Amino acid sequence: MSLTAYLTLAALVFAIGLFGVLTRRNAIGILLGIELMFNAVNINLVAFARFHGDLLGLVFTLFTIAITVAEVAVGLAIVIVIFRVRRTVEADRLDLLRG
Amino acid sequence: MDATVWLPVLVLGLPFASFVLLAVVAPLRRAGRAAGAVSIAAIAAAFLGAVLVWSVGFTREATWTWIPADDGPTATVGVLVDPLANAMLVLVTLVSLLVQIYSLAYLHDERPPSLGRYYTFQSLFAFSMLGLVLSPSFIQMFVFWELVGLCSYLLIGYWYARPTAARAAVKAFWITKLGDLGFVIGIVMLWAATDTFEFRVLFALAQEHALAIEGLGTIMFLIYLGAVGKSAQFPLHVWLPDAMEGPTPVSALIHAATMVTAGVFMVTRAQPLFALVPDVLALIGWVGAFTALLAATMACVESDIKRVLAYSTVSQLGYMMAAAGAGAPDAGFLHLLTHGLFKALLFLGAGAVIHAVGTNDIFRMGGLFRAMPQTGVVFIVGTLALAGFPPLAGFFSKEAILAGVWEADMTGPFLMLALTVLLTAFYMFRVVFLTFFGRAPAAGHPHDPSWTMRAPLWVLAALTVLVGLRLALGDVGAHHGPGWLAPLSVAAALGGIALAWATYQRGVVDPGGLAATFPFSVVDLLARRRYGLDTLYAGLYRGFLLGFSRLIGWIDRYLVDGVLNFLSAWTLRGGDLLRHIQSGHAQDYVYGVAFGVLLLFVWSQWWPR
Amino acid sequence: MTLETAGFWVVAVVLLASSLAVVLTPNLFHAVLYLAAALVATGVVFLLLDSPFLFAVQLLLYAVGVMAIVVFAIMLTERLVGERITQTSRHLVNGGVVAAGVFIGIAGFLIRVPRSLPRAPLVGDATPALGRALVGPFALTLELLGVLLVVALLGALYFARADE
Repeated sequence: MSLTAYLTLAALVFAIGLFGVLTRRNAIGILLGIELMFNAVNINLVAFARFHGDLLGLVFTLFTIAITVAEVAVGLAIVIVIFRVRRTVEADRLDLLRG
Repeated sequence: MDATVWLPVLVLGLPFASFVLLAVVAPLRRAGRAAGAVSIAAIAAAFLGAVLVWSVGFTREATWTWIPADDGPTATVGVLVDPLANAMLVLVTLVSLLVQIYSLAYLHDERPPSLGRYYTFQSLFAFSMLGLVLSPSFIQMFVFWELVGLCSYLLIGYWYARPTAARAAVKAFWITKLGDLGFVIGIVMLWAATDTFEFRVLFALAQEHALAIEGLGTIMFLIYLGAVGKSAQFPLHVWLPDAMEGPTPVSALIHAATMVTAGVFMVTRAQPLFALVPDVLALIGWVGAFTALLAATMACVESDIKRVLAYSTVSQLGYMMAAAGAGAPDAGFLHLLTHGLFKALLFLGAGAVIHAVGTNDIFRMGGLFRAMPQTGVVFIVGTLALAGFPPLAGFFSKEAILAGVWEADMTGPFLMLALTVLLTAFYMFRVVFLTFFGRAPAAGHPHDPSWTMRAPLWVLAALTVLVGLRLALGDVGAHHGPGWLAPLSVAAALGGIALAWATYQRGVVDPGGLAATFPFSVVDLLARRRYGLDTLYAGLYRGFLLGFSRLIGWIDRYLVDGVLNFLSAWTLRGGDLLRHIQSGHAQDYVYGVAFGVLLLFVWSQWWPR
Repeated sequence: MTLETAGFWVVAVVLLASSLAVVLTPNLFHAVLYLAAALVATGVVFLLLDSPFLFAVQLLLYAVGVMAIVVFAIMLTERLVGERITQTSRHLVNGGVVAAGVFIGIAGFLIRVPRSLPRAPLVGDATPALGRALVGPFALTLELLGVLLVVALLGALYFARADE
């Protein structure tokens, strides 16, 4: 399959992940959407690495996977703390930044 | 700097120093009589200096750069001393000194801070008038011209708590400002054409016939407008009678002897320029004569003693201007000097009467000669001088004017002026008879004033007589004219006196009946209504000026402010609306980011086209 | 149709279907399971792109590790165990429009890519080369990554501590 196919696939997954981020009410649901977006990015990186014969893409992908794991851990820790304090994880209720 | 420079500068500087001292050192000013002492000392010293300058009689001009420019200064300040200026110096300082001494007694009822304010303004006025007289250029003259106008405003409105006084001060300021507008436009146009303000340069150009510029007539007419305002010529004479709201010494000083004569002085000073435009001169002559006659008619129906004198001043100023217009500026200037003396005398005498009786209305006075003999004597001396009775000073200067006008072949003005001689004698003696003779009113114990007020009166009366004798003995610039002129003017004066005597002293002629017969009835009617000029000005002011102000006010409030209010209101509204973007929900912010990314996509794909 | 092409299509369908399920299903727990499926599918995509090492990493870290974390988090943030974990979504149309817009934007770029870009020839296993790169030019980055993980660990521990 051509590069474009992989890139299109990644773009679709990215868009779906974005949709999830925008529409999910539950904070953890939003994090799931973010996961999808990360995945799409990784597909892109690996596709490019393969088609250009460049190792850099793979290295990059490795690093992003590791960083994503860290980010998920910390993000979920924050969600748990919020739940402890505010007894809710609905994104609509979390509006302390309101202007 | 030699004596010929620093002496005039000293004369100018002494009243200025007094003014600054009184203005800055508030405790001194608030002490009242102490302020008066300072001011009087300064003006006395200035008077001595002026006499010294005049007696030596040198001609000198000294200037210093004021507004520098590349090729020669644009404007200079300095002093110009010549016979014309010298005579004015003496007149101004003398009358100022006498008036300031007189004021000590006249205003002794005033609270000390107010008195201090009075003397501060007096010093400022003396400085301004002297500066005007010593000006070597149009622009310096204009600066002092405006300063003098300011002092007039301040002094007319001295009793500012009185609404009539405040209004009169503003009216004087406005009307003279109209004239000043023409003045400054004329000066600037002259400068635009000749690139200089200085008299010396301009007169030299005029001599060499190098001043044949386009519209010189218009320029000189505009400059003359300044004199129209300041010297109360028709139709800008309406402020002078109302200016009598100020204290009588002020009227004596600035509305008789000095400030109002500034216009005449300016025309006389600029005679070489006016001589180049005979049409303007003719206009000056006609307007002057007409003003003289008009004011005399209005004086005949006045019952306020100060207003009679005010109209008389307007009338005499008309005489002076007529002389200048007829090409006899020396006669006009001589009359300026003599009139300064006896008009100040008359005003100060009237002030003594008012001070004693407590009213300005001549119909409520009577038989005062018995109670105030000294005042009566000096007042009659002044009246005779004003009526033009030989050998008093007024006779010679008036005759010189009539001669000048006759010899310039200006018949109309001559007739007007001759008729005015009769009227002048009539209305002045009307005042004398009504005030000093006849039945005394029941109330009050009038008496001669204190010597602080009497001394200036006697000084002025003595000078009137002495100057007259001097003029009779020698030919000092007094022109005599055709042989029948002197008897004619004397006869006219006697006729006026006789008519007044018959009407008011003897009661042979009924003033009411006299006024009712045609053509006097017409004149009487118009004169009582001041020829409608006051109404006209008031109507113009209310209708035009205030209407215009209202329009501008509306534009300012609704358009200018409206734009700003609109912008500020919409800033607030906009902020209010934009606030909803900060919803606090993180997902909405992601919307924002996504939207931004979309825009970037669009931009990157379509822009490079 | 080669094996690779068929495989790609199958994986693509699975991936897309599970992704849609992640974002659309009301039950959060189901969403997590669907995400696990999507992650595995992504791993297979890596395999199709000749990187077995990344396939393994993806499965280990993502499909197992991240999913475990997420499941624990879900458990800890619901009031009662056993209560149906449901939630609805909001503003579906808006989100759909924006997401579609982003996709179209990216597609605009993709259209310009030249069609048949051939694959580079396979030069042996990439894994040893990857390992050499990690301890070679990217050693510093690797160490920093370690630091990052420690920091994240500490942060998560701090957040998760008991209230005093």
